[in-house]
Amino acid sequence: MTMRFLLVTVLCFLFFSTAAAAQNEKTVAGFTEEEVLLFGEKMYREGVLPSGEPMEAIVMGDIPVDGRMFTCDDCHQRSGLGSVEGTVITWPTNGRELYRPRRKTGAWRQPESEEAKMDVRKNLPAYWEQIEEARPAYTDESLATVLWTGVDPTGRKLNPVMPLYHLEDSDMAIMVHYLKNLSVDLPPGVDDTTIRFATVVSEDIPAEAREAMLAILQAHVDVRNSQSRHQERRAESGPFYKTEMHQAYRRWELDIWELQSPANTWSRQLQEYYHKQPVFALLGGLVEGSWQPIHEFCEEHKIPAIFPLTDFPVISESDWYTLYFSKGFYQEGEAAARYLQAQENIVSGTKIVMVSRQGMAGSYLNRGFSEIWQEFGRPGPEHIKLAPDKKLSEQFWRDIMQAKQPDVLILWLEPVDLANIRTLVGEKKLPGKIILSAEMLDYSFTAIPDNLRDNVYLTYSYSLPDSQKRSKQAVKQWLRARKIPVTDLKMQSKMYFLGWMLTGAVKSMRSEFFRDYFLEGFDMMIDQDYAIAVYPRLTFGSGQRYASKGCYIVQLTRGSKPELIKRSDWVIH
Amino acid sequence: MMLSKTRIFLLSYLTVLFLIIMISSSAAATKYKRTVEKYQVPDVTLVNQEGQKINLRTFLNGDKPVILDFIYGTCTTICPVLSIGFSHFQKKLGPDANSVRLVSISIDPDNDTPQVMKEYLQRYNAREGWDFLTGNREDIIEVMRAFDAYVINKMNHYPLTILHLPGDENWIRINELLSTSDLMQEYKLLLKK
Repeated sequence: MTMRFLLVTVLCFLFFSTAAAAQNEKTVAGFTEEEVLLFGEKMYREGVLPSGEPMEAIVMGDIPVDGRMFTCDDCHQRSGLGSVEGTVITWPTNGRELYRPRRKTGAWRQPESEEAKMDVRKNLPAYWEQIEEARPAYTDESLATVLWTGVDPTGRKLNPVMPLYHLEDSDMAIMVHYLKNLSVDLPPGVDDTTIRFATVVSEDIPAEAREAMLAILQAHVDVRNSQSRHQERRAESGPFYKTEMHQAYRRWELDIWELQSPANTWSRQLQEYYHKQPVFALLGGLVEGSWQPIHEFCEEHKIPAIFPLTDFPVISESDWYTLYFSKGFYQEGEAAARYLQAQENIVSGTKIVMVSRQGMAGSYLNRGFSEIWQEFGRPGPEHIKLAPDKKLSEQFWRDIMQAKQPDVLILWLEPVDLANIRTLVGEKKLPGKIILSAEMLDYSFTAIPDNLRDNVYLTYSYSLPDSQKRSKQAVKQWLRARKIPVTDLKMQSKMYFLGWMLTGAVKSMRSEFFRDYFLEGFDMMIDQDYAIAVYPRLTFGSGQRYASKGCYIVQLTRGSKPELIKRSDWVIH
Repeated sequence: MMLSKTRIFLLSYLTVLFLIIMISSSAAATKYKRTVEKYQVPDVTLVNQEGQKINLRTFLNGDKPVILDFIYGTCTTICPVLSIGFSHFQKKLGPDANSVRLVSISIDPDNDTPQVMKEYLQRYNAREGWDFLTGNREDIIEVMRAFDAYVINKMNHYPLTILHLPGDENWIRINELLSTSDLMQEYKLLLKK
């Protein structure tokens, strides 16, 4: 018994010590695998060496480059799958592409099944064999050489746009190891036949809104899958030069992830859904309150989330995985600040008073205004924060005017709060500008009394009502053709647009189903003013995560059916 | 003395050959496409990285030589290389950096706010004398058209550097990415005019 116990103890010790040693094994340049990949990522994305010093290189033959100015992922992109911009084509630098020969055809791959190998349409014609490969597969050594010298294994010189890096051997080894492991294995949520998506809905979303969103997403999926019979046949029997295009076809599946209250359990619920059935990306989505828990979940798992329907996005310049329509209420606050600064050019010493209620909308509007206002070097406005149950009596408005005497009065308030605002008219001097949010007013413009309208300015974050009639009509026809009732055209137009963009982004991935590459497909999209019916335009670019960049400032005509008078450009500089 | 037909033919042949050699050697001397153009600067007001309003016509027709390009803040390939070129060019000029006006005009005005442009210039260690301009989308399109630089999709833009000497009706247009030595050579040629 004692001997047996001793033997087991020794074996356990040996097993765990070996495992621990393997885990701590120094793989490259004296660092562990995890450290190497982190350092490599920092070099690739930030141009910074493990020492903290910037990488150094020469570009265009004689221009020294500080690596922080111009990083690898600027051109080759985060995925490493490369980019095309104007006259410059940047080739892939992900491990999968670098470590296999690059054929001149680019697209052709050896048929995998024996049956397919016998099919003449699948095989390259005889003359193709006489064409040499563009380059052989890189080795660690030849990859280091091309990064140092700009000369590839065939002796060809790379375009001088490609920097020649001055890297020590150990730093080069880290770089090479990172590239070798970049975008190699496909992520969960995609297989040989299907790309799986999910949409997130919280349980407290009204049934009509939920149905409006889901019906359109499902219609996009159905349209895609209705092609499957033809696409699968083409992939089976198409000619060799279309192999890549046809084999890239995947059916789409859409899961619904319904979140139960309270919101602080959403993170766990999302983990459970993902663990049970991983998805490639999230599409749309509608929750009560902030999108933050879903945003954070997507950052953690590197899952793209495309165009959630939210007025409360996460405002970040560096987060990567969620692509929003806009910054929501924050963008309206921002627009008010830009308008006062750029268009009205108000003098220093102008008294600005801001009134808002506790709550998310007011908080986003305040933040948007204050952060931009501060960027202009302006002192913050005087802020009156109202308790949730505070009623705005006539005396409240008189007090504001008499005690504060604002030149500009910003009211992030709802229509019900304006019941007694006409009291202001009786005051000796009205504020020159009274600013409100159209979204927060829920577009109930008659809540603003006629005799205040000359002084009232609204932030308006969509296309003006009379514009884009043709695009709206196109959306309505599309809905009608699919027997989807028009219940909320604004939201339905957004989801229609999502499908339009999704088709292009999936196509641009070809068979390289990597999540970063998928997002890069959106980044590279042409600016959109055709298919989007509710914004004047949406614009894209590498790392741009809020597609709508603008917000009008408008005034109202008098009368019971006020019209909007545009007072600013869509984007205010 | 009358020239024989053979001599005339030979002379013509040699003249044509000489011209061909001259033209091809001058093309070989520049590794990039370089043309002389005439542009009318639009009378538009743009905004620089400090948020200041700039009348473009006055700005470009000032008393300093101008080197102009079209870029945007989130560009992946072409603009970083153009901007590194500007940055190093200013460094090479040293104390004279402010004697030439470098002007980058945004082709993504929706995204390129003064704040974005300011951070961009800081990243490239821009010195005084290099301005990044944005503005109303219609105005930007007008400027791009005026310099024959308009592209519908910003992703399809191409490297373009334009040089101009005060008072000169001609503008030098270069449709390639340049090394610093090439840009410096073009600048010196411009000053010699």
